[in-house]
Amino acid sequence: MKRLKTICTGIALALVVGSASAGNDFDYCLLCHGANANGNYGIRAPKLSGMEPWYLARQLENFAIGARGAAAEDGSGHEMRPVGLRLKTEGTLDDAVQFIGKLESKRPAPTVNGDVAHGRELYKNCVSCHGAKGEGNASLNSPALASRSDWYLVTQLVNFQKGLRGVDERDTYGAQMRAIVATLPDDKAITDVVAYINTLK
Amino acid sequence: MQNRYSRRDFLHAAGALGGSTAAFRAAMALGLLPVAAHAQRPELGTLKKPKKVLVLGAGISGLTAAYELSRKGYEVQVLEASFRAGGRNMTVRNGDRIDETGFPQVCNFDKDPDLFFNCGPARIPGHHQELLKYCQELDVELAPFINDNRNAWVQDDAMFGGKPVRAREYFNDSRGFIAELMAKSMKKEDLTGPMTAADWEQLREYLRQFGELDPQFRYIGTARSGLAKHDYTFPDQLKKPLSPSELLKSRFMFIMSFGETDDQAAMMMEPVGGMDRVVAGFMRKVGHLVQLESQVQKIQVGSRGAEVTYRRNGEYVKAKADYVLNCIPMHLLAGIEHNFPKEYVAGFTAIPRGRLFKIGLQMKERFWEREGIYGGISWTLQDIQQIWYPAHGIHRKKGVVLAAYTFDQAAGEKFGRLSPAERIKLAVEQGSKIHPDYGQYVETGVTVAWHQMNHMLGCAAQWDEALWKQWFKTLQTPIGSHYLMGDQVSYHPGWQEGAIASAHHAMADIDARERAAGTVAA
Repeated sequence: MKRLKTICTGIALALVVGSASAGNDFDYCLLCHGANANGNYGIRAPKLSGMEPWYLARQLENFAIGARGAAAEDGSGHEMRPVGLRLKTEGTLDDAVQFIGKLESKRPAPTVNGDVAHGRELYKNCVSCHGAKGEGNASLNSPALASRSDWYLVTQLVNFQKGLRGVDERDTYGAQMRAIVATLPDDKAITDVVAYINTLK
Repeated sequence: MQNRYSRRDFLHAAGALGGSTAAFRAAMALGLLPVAAHAQRPELGTLKKPKKVLVLGAGISGLTAAYELSRKGYEVQVLEASFRAGGRNMTVRNGDRIDETGFPQVCNFDKDPDLFFNCGPARIPGHHQELLKYCQELDVELAPFINDNRNAWVQDDAMFGGKPVRAREYFNDSRGFIAELMAKSMKKEDLTGPMTAADWEQLREYLRQFGELDPQFRYIGTARSGLAKHDYTFPDQLKKPLSPSELLKSRFMFIMSFGETDDQAAMMMEPVGGMDRVVAGFMRKVGHLVQLESQVQKIQVGSRGAEVTYRRNGEYVKAKADYVLNCIPMHLLAGIEHNFPKEYVAGFTAIPRGRLFKIGLQMKERFWEREGIYGGISWTLQDIQQIWYPAHGIHRKKGVVLAAYTFDQAAGEKFGRLSPAERIKLAVEQGSKIHPDYGQYVETGVTVAWHQMNHMLGCAAQWDEALWKQWFKTLQTPIGSHYLMGDQVSYHPGWQEGAIASAHHAMADIDARERAAGTVAA
């Protein structure tokens, strides 16, 4: 097996690096994340437009360093990981964030149904960081939750719960979120709270 | 790992590649299939006044439509999101770019007409007559393709301690044992219905011939499994039959009839120089109508015609047309702004995307030919599943082998998670169980994870019987002047013939509408 390794490292393999500075290349973002990056449920790519630039940058960084999307069961995260890595390697991560910032954000159609009243109760635990209207709080590093892809919020809450996100020690804020997710004991609590978030404007 | 592959999984995978005749028949019975006339190339009437057609996607279905309609008075424009035409019909050679999200690669094969890799479709069965007719018409030279090769290997960690056996041994020794078992256990009195002595003898003889049993109905080996050595100055000496208990440990039984299925049995063909010669053939005719790097962002279907907005060079461009033939993969369509009816959207978001995965490795020597293997497939139950040996360039110095082609979704995902270098490393490790010195011949490689390839992000549409029944008709039916096309809207996803059938179906419908409107020249 040792010999095999030597052979493999000897295999010439070219990766294209660089030359992604032209704005046009970021059109690739729209391929998965949809027109104006308003999300594509068909491919489980969330809405990005309207996300805070600092939050986007941090998540891309997390993907790049493997602090997010590294767990084998996190299929979508895995698909995003090499993208983050590439942007970081090429030094175009901030340009990508800027590109997304210029897109026209559209409120996504709700796809999650739940008990809104129960969700409102549960959301009380979220208010201090994410705000009463789900507007987020930059000083606490908490992103806005309103006007996101609701199915994506569900996926991420489940990921936090299952330990697919927020377990890497470099993801400090993810770890905080993972701790607080304990207030949502089951799938129903998750869909209920997201159903309530859907009502926030 | 062996246990995760059920027969159902395999049939599903085979269906994704085509060959789902059961599904096909079920659909036929349900009346879901287009009438026969639509499956063939329609006789389009020539328009008196041109109608504008926008084709979204320059894959096989889009190019077929552009080729046919542009000859009949339709004004066609093809918008292609990628930097290249062809869709999943993709052959890579020296210097070609593999546009994978996150892991873009460049093909480093030597510059040589035989050193190419078909990343998508790679073989054409003889009954794919529509594609074959286009090949003929577009001067695409064809050569025989070797698919099934009994000299190739079968390897499974579950049998013979992981040691590979020749395919002919697996097939014929297991047949021999099954035939002997049946001959020994079958009793005339257990068979219902009238059976004459002659019938009984005929049945026994069939078993004898099926397994090549001796006069006492014992299986003692057969030349079908190959000779112990091929030294023709000596009398033939049979190989010792493989142990039936070992043979029965393997789940290869789920794959063994692959080479006998409708789409995989001889005679098969491949274009000389690569499958993308088909694309080149179409492009010679309609290349001037194709605009690359134009990514569709919005589709608005009106009461008459439709408007499409796309991005090109960072700008939004609008285009109007009388008809839109949309070949965009359904799972990507869901992210485009549109005004499609709810039902339609529910349909195209319900079909999961496939995760087919391939690796091509340039080998510095054609070592497999020294093992008596010329073309064909070795099978393994490891992640790589297959090794294909090129049927072209026989006895030349180098060759490109297909080093992985997995039908298994989980294995496809597993490879997708790895970097290209890690994928190749894994493929070399697994391939070494079939050819011990495999790794030392590897010079360079390409990896193609279709579910991560830009502008595709899936291969093929994962229809199953329930989905077909629920959604096919909905998705095949036009929304106003908007038609969904591609192999994804056929009962043969994953095959170019399916893509062509979808284009023919849509064009036949357009033609009928135009004829009804009296806009076709007499």
